Formats: sequence, C-alpha cells, structure tokens
Amino acid sequence: MIKRWFRPFEKVSSKESAIIILIWIVLVLGYWTLASTGTKHLFPTPGQVWNGFKSLYEEGLVVHIVSSLGLFLQAIVLAVIVSLTIIYLSPLPALKPVAVILSRFRFLPLTGITFYLAMLVSDARRMQVSVLVIFMSLYFITSLLSVLKDIPQEEIDHARSLKSSRWEVLWEVVIKGRFDYVLDVLRQNLAIIWMMLVTVESILVAAGGLGVLIKNSDKFMNHGRIVALQLVILLVGLMLDVVLNVLRKSLFKYSTF
Amino acid sequence: MALKYELKQTILHVDNLSVAYDGKVIIHKVSFEEKDTVRPEKNTGQTIAFLGRSGRGKSTLFRTLTGLEKPTTGKVLIPDYKKQITNGLQPAKMVEEGDVGFVNQKYTLFRHKTIYQALMFALRKTNLAKSEKHDKIMSYISDWGLEGCMNQYPVFLSGGQRQRTAILEQLLSSGYYIVLDEPFSGLDIGNIRNVKKSFQLISDSNELNTIIFSTHDIELAVELADSIYVVGYDKSDSSGSQVGTIVKHFDLKEMGLAWHEGLKKEHIDLIDNIKQVMLAS
Repeated sequence: MIKRWFRPFEKVSSKESAIIILIWIVLVLGYWTLASTGTKHLFPTPGQVWNGFKSLYEEGLVVHIVSSLGLFLQAIVLAVIVSLTIIYLSPLPALKPVAVILSRFRFLPLTGITFYLAMLVSDARRMQVSVLVIFMSLYFITSLLSVLKDIPQEEIDHARSLKSSRWEVLWEVVIKGRFDYVLDVLRQNLAIIWMMLVTVESILVAAGGLGVLIKNSDKFMNHGRIVALQLVILLVGLMLDVVLNVLRKSLFKYSTF
Repeated sequence: MALKYELKQTILHVDNLSVAYDGKVIIHKVSFEEKDTVRPEKNTGQTIAFLGRSGRGKSTLFRTLTGLEKPTTGKVLIPDYKKQITNGLQPAKMVEEGDVGFVNQKYTLFRHKTIYQALMFALRKTNLAKSEKHDKIMSYISDWGLEGCMNQYPVFLSGGQRQRTAILEQLLSSGYYIVLDEPFSGLDIGNIRNVKKSFQLISDSNELNTIIFSTHDIELAVELADSIYVVGYDKSDSSGSQVGTIVKHFDLKEMGLAWHEGLKKEHIDLIDNIKQVMLAS
C-alpha cells in the first residue's frame, strides 16, 4: 500500500488520504517536540505555545480578533463598492483606462501611500481603513478585470441576440451573471488582504487588533506568544476563506467551480 | 417525385453584403433571396443550409444575418411585420440585433437563469400578460420535453436539454427567424436526432418560420434543407485574395429533392456535386 503512495498520479481512497494526513500531523508534531527540546532551540515548546495562548486570551484575544474582523469588514465593504463601481463601468471605452491604470498602481509601495495619507487623514482609524481600502481595491480591480476579460464573446452575443440593450447585457452577463466571481475574487485575495490588515493595525496601537498583539509580542521576544498568535491569525484567515466559499456556493447554486 | 409548393413573399433579402475587419475583407458580394414557401395542406417553414470549408466566412455571414455584426457594405432585409401591407407587399426593414435568433455551436445560455427564468427573459419584450407568458412557456416546455428540468440552471442540464433551451429561447424572443452556427458539431447520434426533431417542430409550427444553419455534414444538409448555399473563396477575384462569398446555390425545392424521407439516388448525386463545388472553392 505504502509503495503506491509514492507513485505519481496514483489514486488513493479517502481512508488512505486520512491516514496520510494523520501521519503528516504526527511527523510535524514530533519534529516540533524534538526541535524544541534542549537548551538552545529555534521554536518554542508546545507547552510554551499553550502558555502563549493563555496569556493572549487573558490579554483580550477575543476582543482583538473582533476588532480585526470589524476593521476587515469595514474595509472590505468599502473596497468592494469602490472596485465594483470602477469595474462595472470599465466596459465603457471612455472609462476603461481608469480601471487598467488603477490596476497597474498595485505595484506602488505601501509606505509611500501611507506617508501621503498621513498628511490627508488625521484620525488614525480612518487612516487604517483608507490604506486598506486603497490597496484592497487595487487588487480587486486587477482580479475583476481578469474575470471580465474571460467572459466569452458568445455570452455577450447570446444576450444581444435576445434583444438586450448594451446596458442590459452589462446587467445580465457582467453584473448578475458574474456576481459569484466577486465572492471568489474576494476569497482569492483574502490572504494578502489579511496580511496587510495585520500590518496596518500596527499603525494605531490604541485601536487594538491582532496586529497590535504581534507588535507587543515581538517587543518582549516571547516566542510562545508569537507562535500562538501566528496560529490564531492563520486559523481566523482560514475560517474567513471557508465562510466566503460556503457563502458563494449557498447563495449561487449554479456556481460549481 | 417533386412535391407541390408555391413561392410567396420575400422573407430574406441579402444584397451585395461585405464585411471587413481592420481593412481585411472576410466576405464580399454576398447576395441571395429566400421566399416564403407554401405547401398545400401543410405548414412548412424554410430550412436553409450553408455549407463551406473552414475559414470561408460562414460565421461572419451568420453574425451579419443576425444583426450582431454591422456589414461594411450592403444590407440584410427582412419583412417588417409591425407595418401594414401596402400594395400587396409587406414593407421591409434592415435586420437589427434581436430580429433573428442566434444559436452558436456551444449552445450558450445565461449561467444564472434556470430554463423557466431564461424563457421568461426571452418573452420580456412581448405584450403578453404575466400569466399568458407563463402559459406559453409551460406549453413549449411540455412540447419540447423539458418539464423535468425547468427549474435547473444550465450547469446541471444535459447536452440535449441545453440545445433545446437555447433554440427555444431564441424562438420565443425573435419570432420567425433562427440562425444556428454548426448546431450538429460535436454531437452524438442521439443529440443529432434531438436537434433534427427541433427543426421539424419549428418548421411545422408556422410557415414563416425560417431556420438557417451551417454544417460540415453535407448529407445532413441535403436531408434537412430545402435550399443550400455553398460559401467558398471567390476564384473570379483577380487579386487572388481569399475572400468568402456564395459560390453556388442549390434549390432543392426546384430540383424536386426537398421534404423527402430518406436519401434517394438523386440526393446522393447532389451530395457528390456539392463536395466537388466545396473542394473547388
């Protein structure tokens, strides 16, 4: 059986897949335990990480997660509104360059934009939201432009042949017909957005959030806390990914990709 | 034996049509006329086939016939049934988007609409009341064997169900005309039979119904069509440019070969003749 696991493109049963995953978990945990023993070690021990969790919880981990999710939601809603407005108007030849140029702006460095925003926005929370909205929008616009580009000409022609005006084609094929893709684009860009959110949170310590906890943990070189926090951030990110995927599939039954 | 028929008003008039993209001419000098065919005691629509080798401009011609493509020169005229007959003639109009239904070989549908919703959308510009639209849709759904899947999205439909829905929504939306670009391409024997049945249903339901389709299957074209056009390169063009045009027309009604069950020797001869024309163009 084990020999088959090392043959390229071999199909394995779900039971075998579960065994393989279990073996990996045991290997990782075993390596972690071994690598964290002795006087000099890179990783904290599982016990230190557990203590890190407890310390984070006592420091209000749940409140910080809620704060991060609040900021995330606020920024996402604004970024989606901004980027969808730009994208839905991009089939108009006169406005297409706006979307294309904004998409290119994603190569701008975060620090440069933050510098100018700091001069324009005095409130730190608004500053956090502004930075996130600007960067999220640039990534969304890039991904949504690609969704738009991939709409086959046949779908446009099909709508036109059913007496649809050009605005109706935009509404039926692009807006209604691809709304599930918006949720998928959101999900695909989630990792980079989530990473950005934690970085941006460190701008304003008073507002709290997971980014603030990372900053504090880094300061005190508390390895157990740092790893525990990384795990929390990873799990919350994965949870958001799952939620968006479930939301897409339940809201749009035809969205089978 | 030739079956009796009579030719009435012009139902499609294409005059000196040409289409060019960025200066490159794809088709030119395309002219033809089709008339309403009336058979005694039988409702028969028109079934027109376009044959031709790949790259000769059939798809471009079809897009122009449906109004999806603006011709560079020439015009496509159809009767304007919204206007009153004057001096015994139905006034004509230039074809516009939506006047002629168009089904591509992928049988494209709205991915976010169920069959019922798609058919309701196809009827949205008619003056029928909501209940009348519902009744009409249900009647078609029943006739075309789509009852079991009327609330399904295209992604869950079989190939045959997709084909029938795609044809039906164009029929409901456009009225008498339907253009199908290679409707038999890549279909298995069962689905070919389904599409053939759909053609029969359309043709039998109104004498003005006109099906225009392209195919690479000459035998199928001879079996189904009452008029066949071969699209090929214009060898008379002295510039030697490869531009598509109609190189030959076979009127199967006139030849006594239309509306026959099965293929006779004359049909086989015609198939050979068409092959020769296609190879030479």
